[in-house]
Amino acid sequence: MKNEMRESLWTRGAAGAVGAVILATCLSGCVGAAAWDRDLLARKSMQLNTHPIVTAYHDHIYFSKEGSSGGRTFDGGGCGCN
Amino acid sequence: MQLTPRRRGRVSRALGLLTANLLAAAGAHAQSPTPTNEQGAGAPVDGGGVNDDTRSDIGLTRVDSAVLFYSEAGGRVKATEPVVSVALNSSSGDVLSIKLTADILTGATPNGAAPWSGSQTFITPARAPGSTTTVTNASGGSTIVTIPGTGVVSRQYVVAPNQLPVDAGFRDKRYALDLGYSALVNADTRLSGGASVSTERDYSSYSVTAGASRDFNHKNTTVSASLNLEYDLSKPFFGTPTPFTVMSADPKGPNQSKMVYSLVAGVTQVINRYWLAQLNYSVGWTNGYQTDPYRVLSLVDATSGAPVSYLYENRPRTRLRQSVYVGNKIALGPTVLDLSGRYYHDSWGISSVTGSIAERVPVVRGLYVEPEARYYHQNAANFFQNYLVNGQAIPTFASSDSRLGKFDALTVGAKVGLKVNHSGELYVQGEYYRQTGEAHPAGAPGGLGTQTLFTGVRATSILVGYSFAFY
Repeated sequence: MKNEMRESLWTRGAAGAVGAVILATCLSGCVGAAAWDRDLLARKSMQLNTHPIVTAYHDHIYFSKEGSSGGRTFDGGGCGCN
Repeated sequence: MQLTPRRRGRVSRALGLLTANLLAAAGAHAQSPTPTNEQGAGAPVDGGGVNDDTRSDIGLTRVDSAVLFYSEAGGRVKATEPVVSVALNSSSGDVLSIKLTADILTGATPNGAAPWSGSQTFITPARAPGSTTTVTNASGGSTIVTIPGTGVVSRQYVVAPNQLPVDAGFRDKRYALDLGYSALVNADTRLSGGASVSTERDYSSYSVTAGASRDFNHKNTTVSASLNLEYDLSKPFFGTPTPFTVMSADPKGPNQSKMVYSLVAGVTQVINRYWLAQLNYSVGWTNGYQTDPYRVLSLVDATSGAPVSYLYENRPRTRLRQSVYVGNKIALGPTVLDLSGRYYHDSWGISSVTGSIAERVPVVRGLYVEPEARYYHQNAANFFQNYLVNGQAIPTFASSDSRLGKFDALTVGAKVGLKVNHSGELYVQGEYYRQTGEAHPAGAPGGLGTQTLFTGVRATSILVGYSFAFY
């Protein structure tokens, strides 16, 4: 019984390790884009923050009206907002 | 095959455009996808659609200016907030930025008391002792009164029956200055630092920040970390009240301060040709005065629910905040999808989830529209209470601030942007924001059960901005 359990754990562990290796291999090989393949990523519209002022306005409004803030950048609004 | 001169010209132009695209693409990395050197790349790259622009600001000075008009329903807060930001981009990739913000606020803000079927009178210290100025609010006028025999000058205002108690004396101006410098140390490493000051009549905030980012994996991965240190000084018009004392015109205690320490660490990853993703972990520690000095709680009768008195609130002096944020930019044909989410938790017991989506759709050449929606849900802080009950033990901490209560919020809006010249953009954004929560929580004594205790916000805002760059 103990041996069966041990074998089962070994099998699961080995399967997990193989899965992790496959995942890591896939991530390193499948994730990313070659330098000559980044035409779309080079667009201004693809920047993570296209309008910093608009983002700052949003962060400030939500900071002053909700109980949580931050995440994208530092929280806090520099105000004693009412 | 022989090419005619005309065909040679076409091929030459096509090759030139391809080369420019490749140079632009080679500069794209996970953290900032558009550091193309326009001078190096030759002709600016623009595939024709407003979403295709890959022009860079390297070597340019960019001016961003905008003004926000914000208005809450029910005569509550109105704000006008102009902002001007100037970024000087050197040819080596360094950036010096300066931002100026003004914030003009008027209107009424809830004072924390619960509504009641009878009229309610609130007494606070006068903001300007000796003044005879009368401030009008939605539910009656505020009056400056000298209490006979004491010399104490008070401001009194009356709230009509069944109305949310608000203080219409709310009026303030805030000015802020932000400075930042970011330097490219080598091809893969960027260091940044900054400082900011924000000041209003009853509050000042000072902060410094420092950060670093580094590209890995052929610029497919960017790892970054930033630290922020903030000092805030709360200097209410009449001082900081002692927690759970009765609201009165008596002068209050001295100014109070707090320190905020924050860290944001993140990874930005190019997933594939169409998809850029960002994962951030944030942690912040606040130590010091975090109570709202103007806010009270109704102390109500255990049977009838009628207000007996109004007590100043009290919040813990420490707060640990953590959040995980995921952002995505995905090119879907000619459109760009912006998808983000956040999970937040803090030591006050507030947990929240936020999800937002926006899609930038080109309409005609130079014009795009970007509809957006955001959903937010939070649960209540463990010391949130709509009211206190007379005769029961006063807790260590309590606040009726709806921002600390349980609610949902939805934002819907749209932005319209128009490309002006080669580097300019004019944009207008309109948004509607609404909080919804439990209006009649169970267990409210007597007549309080019929009152609307949720004091959430409904707000509309219009933002007009113009951005342009020059050598």
